Amino acid sequence: MMYSFSAPRSKRIISGEIRLALFFFMISIGMVVLAYGFLTYRTQQFDEQRKSFGKDIKQLEHSKREIEKRILLIESAVKKSEEISTNNMVMKESIHNLFDLVPDNITLNKADLDKKSLILYGVTPNKDAYEFMLQAPLKSIFHRTYTSFYPIENGWYNFVSTNYLEDESVTEVQE
Amino acid sequence: MNLRMNIRTVYVLLLSLFLMISIFMFSFFLLIPKGKEYRTLRLEDKKESRVLDASREEQNQLQEKLDKLEKSHKVVIKAFKTSFNPQKFTRLYGKEFQDLFLSELEMSDHNGSFKVYEVNATTKINSPETFYHFLDQVNHSDWIIGVNFPIHFEREGDLIKSSFTMKVHHIDEVKE
Repeated sequence: MMYSFSAPRSKRIISGEIRLALFFFMISIGMVVLAYGFLTYRTQQFDEQRKSFGKDIKQLEHSKREIEKRILLIESAVKKSEEISTNNMVMKESIHNLFDLVPDNITLNKADLDKKSLILYGVTPNKDAYEFMLQAPLKSIFHRTYTSFYPIENGWYNFVSTNYLEDESVTEVQE
Repeated sequence: MNLRMNIRTVYVLLLSLFLMISIFMFSFFLLIPKGKEYRTLRLEDKKESRVLDASREEQNQLQEKLDKLEKSHKVVIKAFKTSFNPQKFTRLYGKEFQDLFLSELEMSDHNGSFKVYEVNATTKINSPETFYHFLDQVNHSDWIIGVNFPIHFEREGDLIKSSFTMKVHHIDEVKE
């Protein structure tokens, strides 16, 4: 016996419209969550990369400082070597010039060369020969020149010539 | 029937509204701040990357400069690194002199990276020319040697006895 003209149908908890709405919203939520996930992942990646960059930069800075230190050291070593070499050459010229100053008739027995002074010990046939031939050039080089003569048996003189340079002129041969 | 449709529509509307609010809240409180953080970090990352590149470039240039310096001053660097050997010195320069005697190798100065050793030398030479030649030779020696005042010359028969101080400069740190 039938009580209704319409056939019975199963009732659903979620209707078709709601299902459609839910479907679209799920897609929307999924997209938003995916975007969030992507951003979180990339942010983390950038953060890690930034930390790694920072570490690399620090290492490079340290390495640069070391290289700069080494460059400075080599430059100062080269400069020092040139200075030493020049000083040796200047010294050679100074000694050469000094011995060239001594005339043939004057014999040197001893010479003490210092940065600011020169002491010569020698023998001269007479005082005039010494004064004209050795003292005059020495006086033109040094600021103060003192000479002592000691007569010897053959009529010649032993002499001690002490010569000093003032401080400001000591520029040539220095350490 | 009409009432039923309305309830269903309201139900759908309410659900839509709830979901929309959820999405908006999610976007405003999580997605947008995360997006801003992402953008900031990306910019900072680019900046850091540029700094790193510049730093790398600078380091390469410095390394190149160092290599050139090391190459062009190889001899000087080697000489600074070589420890003074009195026996070798005597063997090399003893020929120049009638007699060569070295004494007191001691550190006289330690200025930063440079160490200076002082050596007293006593020699006997035939003529001053020998001493000039020695000064020429010492500039091309295995060590960095500076001959210093005071220098003492004294006649001993046909020979000249000379005594002087040499300063040997040494560096430990320089790489060859």
